[in-house]
Amino acid sequence: MPDLIIDGRAVSVPKGTMVIEAAERLGIMIPRFCWHKALGAAGACRMCAVMFTAGPVKGLEMSCMTPAADGMVVETFHPEAVAFRRSIIELLMVNHPHDCPVCDEGGHCLLQDETISGGHSLRRFPGRKRTYLDQNLGPFIQHEMNRCIHCYRCARFYQEYCGYRDFGPMQNANRVYFGRFDDGALENPFAGNLADLCPTGTLTDKPARFVSRRWDCLRAPSVCLHCSLGCNVTALSRYRRVARIEARENAAVNGSFICDRGRFSAGYEAIPERPRSARLDGNAVPAIEAETALAARLAALAEKHGPGSIAILGGLRSTMETQAAGIALAQAAGWRAPAFFATRTEQAATQAALAVLTPPRARSLAEIGKADAVLVLGVSPLFDAPMLALALRQASRAGAKIIVADPRPVALPLPFTHLPVPPRQFPAVLAVATGSPDAAAAAAQKRLPFAPELWPGLETAAKALAAAKRPALVFTPGLAAALPDDDRLGLFPVLAQASSAGAALLAPTDAPGLDELAADVAAGRVKGLVVVEADLFAAAPGLAAVLGKLDLLVVLDYLPTPTVAAAHIVLPTTTIFESGGILAASDGRLQAASPVQSPGDPVARDGAGSHPPRAFDRPLPGTDPAPAAFLLDRLARGLGLTLPREPLAALAAAIPALAGLDLAALPQDGLRPAFAGLAAPLPAPLPLSAESGLAVIYTDALFATDEPGRYAPLAQAQTQAGPPVLLLHADDAAALGLADGLADGLAVSLECGNRLVPATLHLSRAMARGVIVVPRVPDLAGLPPILGPCGLRRR
Amino acid sequence: MQVDTPQVLFKNRHLGRPATLAEYRAGGGYEALAATIGKRTPAEVLQLVLDADLRGRGGAGFPAGRKWQGVPTDHVGTRYVVVNTDEMEPGTFKDRILVNADPHLVIEGIVLCAYSIGASEGVFFIRPSYEGDAELIEQECRVAREHGYLGNNILGSDFSFDLHVHRSAGRYICGEASAQIKAISGLRPNPRKGGPRTAVKGLWDCPTIVNNLETLANLPGIVRNGPAWFKALARSATGSGTKLYSVSGQVARPGCYELPIGVTIREIIFEHAGGMAPGKTFKTVIPGGASTPFLPEALLDLEMDFDPMRAAGQRFGTASLMVFDQGTCLVGATLSLMEFFARESCGWCTPCREGIPAIRELLRRIEGGQGTEEHIQMLTDLLPVLDKAYCAFAPGAAEPVRGLLTHFMNEVNAHIVQKRCPFGNPPPTLRGKACGTRPIQFGPTPCPEDQCPI
Repeated sequence: MPDLIIDGRAVSVPKGTMVIEAAERLGIMIPRFCWHKALGAAGACRMCAVMFTAGPVKGLEMSCMTPAADGMVVETFHPEAVAFRRSIIELLMVNHPHDCPVCDEGGHCLLQDETISGGHSLRRFPGRKRTYLDQNLGPFIQHEMNRCIHCYRCARFYQEYCGYRDFGPMQNANRVYFGRFDDGALENPFAGNLADLCPTGTLTDKPARFVSRRWDCLRAPSVCLHCSLGCNVTALSRYRRVARIEARENAAVNGSFICDRGRFSAGYEAIPERPRSARLDGNAVPAIEAETALAARLAALAEKHGPGSIAILGGLRSTMETQAAGIALAQAAGWRAPAFFATRTEQAATQAALAVLTPPRARSLAEIGKADAVLVLGVSPLFDAPMLALALRQASRAGAKIIVADPRPVALPLPFTHLPVPPRQFPAVLAVATGSPDAAAAAAQKRLPFAPELWPGLETAAKALAAAKRPALVFTPGLAAALPDDDRLGLFPVLAQASSAGAALLAPTDAPGLDELAADVAAGRVKGLVVVEADLFAAAPGLAAVLGKLDLLVVLDYLPTPTVAAAHIVLPTTTIFESGGILAASDGRLQAASPVQSPGDPVARDGAGSHPPRAFDRPLPGTDPAPAAFLLDRLARGLGLTLPREPLAALAAAIPALAGLDLAALPQDGLRPAFAGLAAPLPAPLPLSAESGLAVIYTDALFATDEPGRYAPLAQAQTQAGPPVLLLHADDAAALGLADGLADGLAVSLECGNRLVPATLHLSRAMARGVIVVPRVPDLAGLPPILGPCGLRRR
Repeated sequence: MQVDTPQVLFKNRHLGRPATLAEYRAGGGYEALAATIGKRTPAEVLQLVLDADLRGRGGAGFPAGRKWQGVPTDHVGTRYVVVNTDEMEPGTFKDRILVNADPHLVIEGIVLCAYSIGASEGVFFIRPSYEGDAELIEQECRVAREHGYLGNNILGSDFSFDLHVHRSAGRYICGEASAQIKAISGLRPNPRKGGPRTAVKGLWDCPTIVNNLETLANLPGIVRNGPAWFKALARSATGSGTKLYSVSGQVARPGCYELPIGVTIREIIFEHAGGMAPGKTFKTVIPGGASTPFLPEALLDLEMDFDPMRAAGQRFGTASLMVFDQGTCLVGATLSLMEFFARESCGWCTPCREGIPAIRELLRRIEGGQGTEEHIQMLTDLLPVLDKAYCAFAPGAAEPVRGLLTHFMNEVNAHIVQKRCPFGNPPPTLRGKACGTRPIQFGPTPCPEDQCPI
């Protein structure tokens, strides 16, 4: 622990800490451009020069490249250091266009800050400024090379941190150009971070360009809804629409970065189709009227068929407050236990996945990035949880061995071993890979006798996990019960949706699955259904098919889903940007999002595209949406019931894992409760037999396969038009007679419920046999788990 | 040719063509190798080099033996020798002449180095303009292989080492050891600082010794005749061996001369190089290649050796003397050096990437008669900034400017007062075209380097 003195204040830092970081611990911000917490030192900008007046290093040195050592005395405001930094700024400004008034970075520009704080105000140098031609880098990042100060942050992030090669530095001397060989969209699914990283306006957020100055935006800490990892973001709102999303630092979760799905999938809160007013039997009515009618109809139903004929159904993209309010209402009214998951098994599996996260075994996302061997089971990181891929990349850069067992073709920007196994073989893979490395070869042959191509990979996995000091296992909930009881092995689950963990924590053990609910509706045992922020057509096609049998369908939602269209009564709710709330990430970490804007139509629409309206005497249009928890509470009052004032706190107090937590004051980094006694792991679901057909594997795309993302215009624009693309192993296709001639891109039909969905079939050899990979689009939500022999046919 | 000083490296230069293997062997060639392989341990060879105090001839003067000591002895896997022949320092041309005089001397030196550090592969990194030399080395390597001096089982022993030629893409920065390793690996040749040294983690992350060609060419002599002989070659107390001095500029006989380390600059210019060219009067000399400062006449009796030069505030560098006469405008001379440095910067750090072009712009103005007192102040402000650059490139580039401002300020002032170059040089182009440096797929850039104004 070196002890040093910076600007007269003593600080003690861990060995290996650079002086610039040591100063940061004291709150001293040494100017910097190239140094970044996540990327480390480059020594390129020379901006962080400070004076070392005593100790092992003497004189003017770069604080980012000098490790803190005992006895150092550092002066950041030494006249020589100040003069040197001013010269550096002056040199950087020699070629900077100084176009701050039209630059999107203006106002949150590091170069602006350092120029002004460094005291450089007058240009002395004669001569012309260097100019460049810019490139079109795709829909997300705007390129303005003239503003570049060559800090190499973008190149280091893009190539070293992320492992993509299509963008980088070219040429030498002061002609260095950061770009691609030719115009084209950046291939890196984390490229949006370039806008956050770039200390100037060279690389800016293209969709947010010219939308607003940053200081004009409302800003609030938020949590990403677009996968289960719970990355921290900052939402910036302007004129009642989210102008942009930025990464928010959380050392335990996403570090400094987020993925492009999280960054560019907002916008669903401002679409014109969003339900903004209450609807009663298809007609827009004042909210109070709809609520009164709803209470009356629910009371009538309960009287006629008993309260057990009413069910409430919670979504997996709601905040925990909303989920808790639904549970509290069901309990108070004596309705059926609320349903969240597709099946009881899925709920039990998700609960079991959290229950295994005992303190010695639970790993955060950041800890996955520091593991030295990771076995990923049933997750395609780049698509199921993109930031996991970035964490794996960091582990891999530090020398970790990465093994991914997944039926789909897996692409990752790092060296890894892919074991293409169908889900039914996951337990076998798990058993072999976590078993004794000496017996791995024999065990692989015994457990997977018909897949000799997997044996070497399995042996590597077993050896890597056995030799590792910090091995980790990334798994899907279905495997929770099969996990080995070994505290050495860190665990990190990847769940289905952003609030799956929240639902699993809160749902009562007797909660039915959506499939049971569908059976009850079909049998007439359930007559009224209250759906809170869920789309039945995507989440439970079986239930959606029997909606006609219901006497009353009530939907509370903020997305214009088909379920909303089918509802008798609609109550509009607010998004996470408007109401905030608590979300549980896949590792059970509870994190709070703050509201950033008020509900209501975006001004752009309210003002018909012109200046914001100046009519102050009228109510703000589109402000009917209210937090779902609030609406459910009002509904309870309408039914003459009283819900607890804080349903989540009340519910949490009764759950051992959450009891005693102060949910109103969660720490900035989130809080991971101990999950002891959450629920006993259930026996693993019976493996599906694949003999009768192809097992259906749903896969996510980077954009617009998560539910909110499907309604985000920008994310939607990234999807390809045309029929969904299916993936099948080439040998399976041959066996099915689908591999002739048009081997790639064959037009097929897929039997989905009672319809035939047109699709395009692609073949691959980098995937498991006996499975068909299907995109997670609502059109294909109704596929059976096993596709029958006639399920896939030539069109 | 001089006969009064011992010719070790240039023993066969009198032939006027590359010496053949037979000619090299006739003069005792490959005896050192034969006496070493299988007879001395690598550690003994290393000790010989340490005792001989052989210092790097590429400019920095780092003791070669100490560099080799850094190679981890317990490394399992390949070790590499990289022979630095990326001779791009303006005014330096010794390696080209040495290769052309005695290619087998070079090859023997490389094999001895490889034996000492246990390397099995060598890369002969050569600048692309030396294509003839590259082909010569390739051809002589084939000859050496045929005779068992290179390749598998050298001289029938179990020591195997092979050398292949890597042509540089032609950038000055590729002469820096860590940048050279990156260049060979196909990466951007930005120098690397911090982290393990190249001797520990170099080419393909394996231990790698990068040495200048001339350094390695001294090895056969050291091994054959012993360290004492080598030290006795030098004329100064601290130096050892001989050195190839490239003399260019306004002298009667410009050329490359092998002279002992420690001869005075005066002796080199006025005896060996035949004095000033007819009708020219001495003004100044750059003693060690483009990245060393101008040396005033008062220091002409300085011994050409690493330590005495440093003590006098000068740099030995590559011992390439560029001699200027009274009729040469030093502002113009400095400007043309800056044109070179501004073009060759790798573009990594601010002082180098932005600072050198700024100096060039100011010198262009002064040389063109548009300079002001303020510009001199700016130059003075820039020099300490260049000294704190990432690698040694920018500090080297600052040296001629510093020399100009220290010793020849009157010449700079004359430009400013007369508003023209007092030597009658035409004004340099002040305004180039705006440089659209856009990468076009695998084609020429719209701004070729020799026309690029920035």
